[in-house]
Amino acid sequence: MDFKFGEKEERLREEIRQFAGVELAGRNTIAGMEEESNDEDWEFAMSMSRKLARKGWLTMAWPKEYGGQGASYFEQHVYADEASYWGIPGTSMGVSGIGWVGLSLMLFGSDEQKKKYIPLIASGDPDGVWCTAYSEPNAGSDFANIQTRAVKSGDEYILNGQKIWTSCAHRARWCWMAVRTDASVKKKQHGISLMIVDMKSPGIIIKPILNYAGVHIFNEFFLDNVRVPVTNLVGTENRGWYHLMQSLAFERHSMAPQFFGSARRILEFIVKYARETTYNGKTLASDPIVRNKIAERAIELDTLKLFGYEITWKMSRGVIPVYEAARNKAYCDFFMQRLATTGTEIIGAYSQIDRASRWPRIMGLITRLYMMFPGLSIAAGTDEIQKNIIGQFKLGLPRAY
Amino acid sequence: MDFELSEQQNMLKTMARDFLSVECNKVKVRDLEESDTNYDPKMWSKMAELGWLGLIFPEQYGGTGADLLDLVILMEEMGRNITPGPFFATVALCAIPIMKFGNKRQQANYLTSIAEGKSIWSLAIEERHGGYEASHINCSADYDGKHFVINGEKMFVPYAHIADYFLVVCNTGKDAGGDGGLTTFIVKAKSRGVKIEKISTFAGDGQCRVRFRNVKVSRSDVLGRINSGRKVLDMIMQWGTVLKCAEVSGACQAVLEMTNNYAKERIQFDKPIGSLMVIQHQLVDMFTDIEGLQYLVYYAAWLLTQGVKADVQISIAKAKANKVYQRACIDGVKIHGAIGFTMDHDLGCYFRRIKTAEFMLGDTSLHLEKIASGLGL
Ligand SMILES: Cc1cc2nc3c(=O)[nH]c(=O)nc-3n(C[C@H](O)[C@H](O)[C@H](O)COP(=O)(O)OP(=O)(O)OC[C@H]3O[C@@H](n4cnc5c(N)ncnc54)[C@H](O)[C@@H]3O)c2cc1C
Repeated sequence: MDFKFGEKEERLREEIRQFAGVELAGRNTIAGMEEESNDEDWEFAMSMSRKLARKGWLTMAWPKEYGGQGASYFEQHVYADEASYWGIPGTSMGVSGIGWVGLSLMLFGSDEQKKKYIPLIASGDPDGVWCTAYSEPNAGSDFANIQTRAVKSGDEYILNGQKIWTSCAHRARWCWMAVRTDASVKKKQHGISLMIVDMKSPGIIIKPILNYAGVHIFNEFFLDNVRVPVTNLVGTENRGWYHLMQSLAFERHSMAPQFFGSARRILEFIVKYARETTYNGKTLASDPIVRNKIAERAIELDTLKLFGYEITWKMSRGVIPVYEAARNKAYCDFFMQRLATTGTEIIGAYSQIDRASRWPRIMGLITRLYMMFPGLSIAAGTDEIQKNIIGQFKLGLPRAY
Repeated sequence: MDFELSEQQNMLKTMARDFLSVECNKVKVRDLEESDTNYDPKMWSKMAELGWLGLIFPEQYGGTGADLLDLVILMEEMGRNITPGPFFATVALCAIPIMKFGNKRQQANYLTSIAEGKSIWSLAIEERHGGYEASHINCSADYDGKHFVINGEKMFVPYAHIADYFLVVCNTGKDAGGDGGLTTFIVKAKSRGVKIEKISTFAGDGQCRVRFRNVKVSRSDVLGRINSGRKVLDMIMQWGTVLKCAEVSGACQAVLEMTNNYAKERIQFDKPIGSLMVIQHQLVDMFTDIEGLQYLVYYAAWLLTQGVKADVQISIAKAKANKVYQRACIDGVKIHGAIGFTMDHDLGCYFRRIKTAEFMLGDTSLHLEKIASGLGL
C-alpha cells in the first residue's frame, strides 16, 4: 500500500502552482463553474486555454500523435486537482472537446475526423470548442428517449428536432450530438447515432436559458432542416448508444480530483475565515459548533480524495471504472451540498450577497457554490441515476425502475 | 383544542391567495427583484385598501383590530406567493413595536399613516457581523443636552432605500456596561447624515447598508424608554420571528405543491417520476417537515396571543423553518431536474430567498442556543 504520488507528479504540481501564481494575477473563481456565461470571463478562459495548450497540459492525457503528452493517469489526476485548486479557467474549453470528444474520436472516429478535429481541440483555440447535445425536453435521465430525427438524403443527413440544456452551445464551434436515425426500432437504445454538427450550419437556432442565479450556462437548441454531411457520422449508424456509453465513461473519471481541488481550497478559506473572524469577542474558530461542522467537511474531503485516488489507480491498472465513477459523482454532489451549506452558515448573512456587490465574503466563492451545486448535481446524471448504477452494477441488486 | 382556521381567517386566506395570484405573478416577482425600488407602489396601495397594512392595528388608527394569528395567516399566503415589498419590514418589524411601545402621539402619528399605505418603515438593527444579539450593537446615540446624536453603520436593513422612517436600535449605555443600554429611535430616512446604499443580494430584496453620521433626533423620538431598548428588541425578535416563520412556512408549502405536481406529470422511463419510490419518499419527507413547521408556527403564534412566554417555541419554529425551507428548495430543484435550475421556473424565486430567510432574525445556531438555554441547559 502506498498513497503518495511520484516525483514527476509533485514537480508537475509545483509547476502548476507557479503558473497559476503568474497567470491568474489574483483572479478567484471556482474552476469550470460558469466561465462561459459572460464575454469577459470567456475571453480570459480562452486565453488560458491557449497557454495551457502551449504548456502541453490542456490535452496531456492524449497520445503524443494527437497533440498530447501521453501523461499517466497519475499526472492527469494531479493536474485536475491542482488546476482546480487554483481555479484556472479554460482547462475544459466548454467541457466536451477535452472531456470526451477527442478521446471518443480516437476510439471510433474516422481518420478524416481525427485529422480535422483533434488538433483543433489540442490547440486551445476557439475553433476547438465543442458542446454536447444529448438531452431533449422528454429525454433527460431517460436519454435513450431522444426524438431529434436525422434522415439520410444523398450524402447528407437532414436533422429536425429540439435539444435542450446544451451547455456552452453559445460558445461552441462544433456540437457532439446524439440523434435518432431509426425510429422503427422496438428498443429505444437502438436507432441512435452520433454526429458532428457544425454550429454555423443554417437551421440551427440557439436560445439562452439563464439559470436561477442569472448565469448563462445552458441553451435551448432548435434544428430546422439542418444539413449534416454523412461523413460527420461518428462510428456506426444506429450504434450511437454504445459509442455514447463509452464516451460517458471518459466524462466521469476526472470529476473527483477536480472537485476535490476546488473543495480543498474552499475548505482552507473557511478555516482561515473562522480563525480571523471574531464574533462576540471570540473567534469563530473557538466556537465548538463551527469547529465540528468544519471537521465534518474535512472527513468528507478526505473520503473524496481517496475515492479519486482509487479510480486513478484502477485506471492505471487498465480497469474501466463503472460503479466507481457513479459513486464519485454522487459523493461529489453530496459533499458539494454540505460544503456550500456549511460555508453559508459560517459567513452568515453575507451569503446572500452577490459577488458583484461591495461586500462579498471569501470572494463570493461560497455563494457561487451554493447557487450552483443543485445544477451541478443534476448535470451529467442526477444522484438518483448514479445510485441506480451503483445498486445495479456493484451491489447486484435488481433494477428498481 | 382546535386546529381549524376561523371563518374570518379562511376568508382572509382565500382573498389573499386570489389577490396575490392576480397582482403578483412570478414574472412580476422577477421584475421587482431587478428593479430599483424592489416594490410596486400600486400594489402597496391596494394592500392598504384591502386593510392588510393595518390588519392588526386598533380601529382608531385605521386598523381592523385583528390578532396575530390572522396576520400569521396573511403572512403565510404572502410567503406562499412570494410578495416582494416592504410589508414585513413595515408591519412586522416596525408597526408592531410602535403598537406595543409607542406613546399615544407616536401611535396616532405613525400607525394611521402606515395603515393608509402612506409610509414605509424599516428596522435598522444588524451591523457588520450580521447578528441579532444585543451585544452586537455598537451604533451609538449620545445625548448632547438637546438631541441624541446617532453614529454608526447598519447592515441588511430591508427596503431602506424606499423607507420613510427607520427604527434604529442604538447603544446608549456604553457607560452602564454590559448590554443593558439599548434604545430604539424613530429616525426619518431623509434626516441629515443618513446615507443609504443598496446591497445586491440574490433575492433582489432591497436590503441596504445604512450609515448614520451625527444624525440628530429629539428625545420625543425615542420608542419606549431610554435604555429600555432590550425589551423592544426582545419583542421584535418574538413577533417578527413568528411572522417570518409564517412567511417561510407558506413558501415551503408552495415548493412542495409545485414539486409534487411535477412529480405526477413528468414522465421518464415511461412512467411518472412520482411513481419511483425514491422520489415518493423524498416528497413524503418534505411533506412531513412542512406540516410540522406549519403547526409549530401556529403554536408559537397562539402562545403569543395568550400572553404566555413563548421564547423557546418561537426559536423552535425558526430553527425548524431554516432547515425545512432549505431542504425543501434543494430537494425541490433536484426532483425537477434541470428545469428547476432555471430563471424562468418559479422554484428559483424560492431558492434565491433561502439565505435571506435563514439569516433574518437569527440563524439556526442562535435559535438552537436559545432553545437549549430555555431547557435549562
Ligand atoms: C447545469 C447543467 C448543464 C447541463 N448540460 C448539458 C449538456 O451540455 N448537454 C446535455 O445534453 N445535457 C445537459 N444537461 C442536462 C442533464 O443531462 C439532465 O438535466 C439530466 O440528465 C436530468 O434530466 P432532466 O433534467 O430531464 O431530469 P429528469 O430526468 O426529468 O429527472 C427528474 C427527477 O427524477 C429523477 N429520476 C428520473 N429517472 C429516475 C430513475 N430511473 N430512478 C430514480 N430517479 C429518477 C431524477 O433523479 C430527478 O430527480 C445539463 C443539465 C444541467 C443542470
